[in-house]
Amino acid sequence: MEIKNRPFAVDTVRQDPDDETFTFWPRHNEALYKRLESKHVHIEQGDPLEAEMTLNIGPQHPATHGVLRVVVKLDGENIRTAVLDIGYLHRGLEKFAEVKTFQEFMPYTDRMDYMSPYNSNVAWCLSVEKLANIEVPQRAQWIRTMMCECARISAHLLWIGTMVMDAGALSVFLWTFKYREELYSIFDEVAGARFTVSHSRIGGVAFDVSPTALDLIQRFCDNFQNDIADWKKLLNRNRIWIDRNKDIGTLSAEECLDLGFTGPNLRACGIDYDIRIFEPYLKYDEVEFDVPMRTEGDSLARYFVRVEEMEQSLRIIRQCLDRLRGPNEVKGPIRADNAKHAYASKDEVYYSMEGMIHDFLMTDVGVAPPDGVEVYHATEAPKGELGFFLASDGTGSPWRMKINSPSFCNLQGLEHLLEGAMVADTVVLIGSIDPVMGEADK
Amino acid sequence: MKKEPLHIASDGTETIDPAQEKQTLKFLFTPAAPPKSEGAPNPHAKASTQVGETIDALRGEFGDAVGEVVEYAGEQTVFVERERIVEVVRFLKAQGFTYLSDLGTIDRFTEDDRFEVFYSLCHIPKRKRIRVKLRVGDGISVPSITGVHRAATWHEREAWDMMGISFDGHPDLRRMFMPEDFEYHPARKEFPTLGIPGSLPLPPQENDGEITLDPFARAHGNIPED
Repeated sequence: MEIKNRPFAVDTVRQDPDDETFTFWPRHNEALYKRLESKHVHIEQGDPLEAEMTLNIGPQHPATHGVLRVVVKLDGENIRTAVLDIGYLHRGLEKFAEVKTFQEFMPYTDRMDYMSPYNSNVAWCLSVEKLANIEVPQRAQWIRTMMCECARISAHLLWIGTMVMDAGALSVFLWTFKYREELYSIFDEVAGARFTVSHSRIGGVAFDVSPTALDLIQRFCDNFQNDIADWKKLLNRNRIWIDRNKDIGTLSAEECLDLGFTGPNLRACGIDYDIRIFEPYLKYDEVEFDVPMRTEGDSLARYFVRVEEMEQSLRIIRQCLDRLRGPNEVKGPIRADNAKHAYASKDEVYYSMEGMIHDFLMTDVGVAPPDGVEVYHATEAPKGELGFFLASDGTGSPWRMKINSPSFCNLQGLEHLLEGAMVADTVVLIGSIDPVMGEADK
Repeated sequence: MKKEPLHIASDGTETIDPAQEKQTLKFLFTPAAPPKSEGAPNPHAKASTQVGETIDALRGEFGDAVGEVVEYAGEQTVFVERERIVEVVRFLKAQGFTYLSDLGTIDRFTEDDRFEVFYSLCHIPKRKRIRVKLRVGDGISVPSITGVHRAATWHEREAWDMMGISFDGHPDLRRMFMPEDFEYHPARKEFPTLGIPGSLPLPPQENDGEITLDPFARAHGNIPED
């Protein structure tokens, strides 16, 4: 059957070589549409109008979760087949890493999952530390754990705000952004930057948390606890919210595993896969927390998992606060005590020759792991399993770095979720799996 | 020298500018203890990556198709033959490694079979993670494991896009990030970091202008003479 409505379709462009309506990458679009045609997906629900339409959504707007392009074939209001096209934000981070020292690459990780840069920083540092066999002081580990959980709350706050907005309500977005603002102030106080923090360093953290920062975090915990209870009252039994999310994008546990979903999306299907429990890193084996789980596997279950995760994060932050001040305080340095493994303190750099030499060497060469070894360290980022695979050639930069990004894995499953859904649910579905293109496109 | 007060509070107490104070050196991070020996256990090693039993089971099932086992930082990597990878992954799935968490490639371009493909599989109830690896030469394709784990679809597409390793039996081997019109595989070691001029046409710089073929003209040495 001839399909008429095809924006940027290549065969309409290619018939006339002089036609310049679409000048870039015609073969790319050709392949995309061919794939859409060749997919065989059986959907039982027939459409009385028997109208078929190909619709190009993106690479902007779909309630802008980034530059994600979705090409769907519609049967009435049902999506018959869907093809996702990503790569509009591809910056070649893996290639970049090969020409940078390990420490130089850290700011790039801020730009991967820009909703929670602290988690990406820590994931990167942990991989390098595992590769170069660097031990991190206890206090630095507590600081990292606490700030990672702050970043998780910040990411989930953005998610819940935009998700409820995608479903049609604006006010929750404003409430969550009030708390995101507070979290930004905390990051500002801790790291000196609001958004792209880069506070973690290989072998520890850049500087210790100030008493002001700890007070700010304490105040945040106290206020946030009450407000999250209010939001739950508002949303958990809200008719519109439930109608919009219940039984939308339902996945079974087997499907979810097979499609490679990760993070809250996987736990919403009843699979107990949380890296904080699976292979504990930092201080997650010393703090008490539960992993929220649901078995329904629909969009509403993913909402419950994320909201409960925020409450668990608060629990973890409280325990970390307890270990960073007061009678149980873990005292000590905040960076590894070895000039070959971590930057020297600024005191040392400014007032001693050796310190300055070490500082220069760390900047020029950096950490040099053994030759020919490789590691993979996974962490639980807000979106799911974030890990860096590193292969070393004995120099200060990796021979090969591979990012295992949760958004990439989740988006792969989105294609499957969209098929058979209603076109009006597209935005809810994209929102409910929570992709960040900075991370998916690498 | 009289010290100038930096700030006088309402109750008369003076704060002295720290720059005028006598500086005492605080070497907080000067190594106090001797550095660790090379053979010290890795502090980041995880119990989940010790999969000796599974490797024994693999050897029992596949014999010589299972090659050497490399261990570093408590992570065990097992090499398998390229032709048997689908069977190996299917066997591991039956053993409980039902979740494919990662698939990636390495380019060892000075060696004979220049590429390595690794598969990271998880056993969720037992909390185990195994890395299976294979070697493949340039232009030789690897059997696709999408029939066993659908999660491999995009990962294999990425490997094709970035490294140019093709996968036999893949349902949809298009490029992942780069446009189809791009002719190179940028993660290969021979691909320059600044890109190849003209390989990626970009929109014109001004209205009614020409398509930009080299966005880094100056960096590539094409400096206009005027």
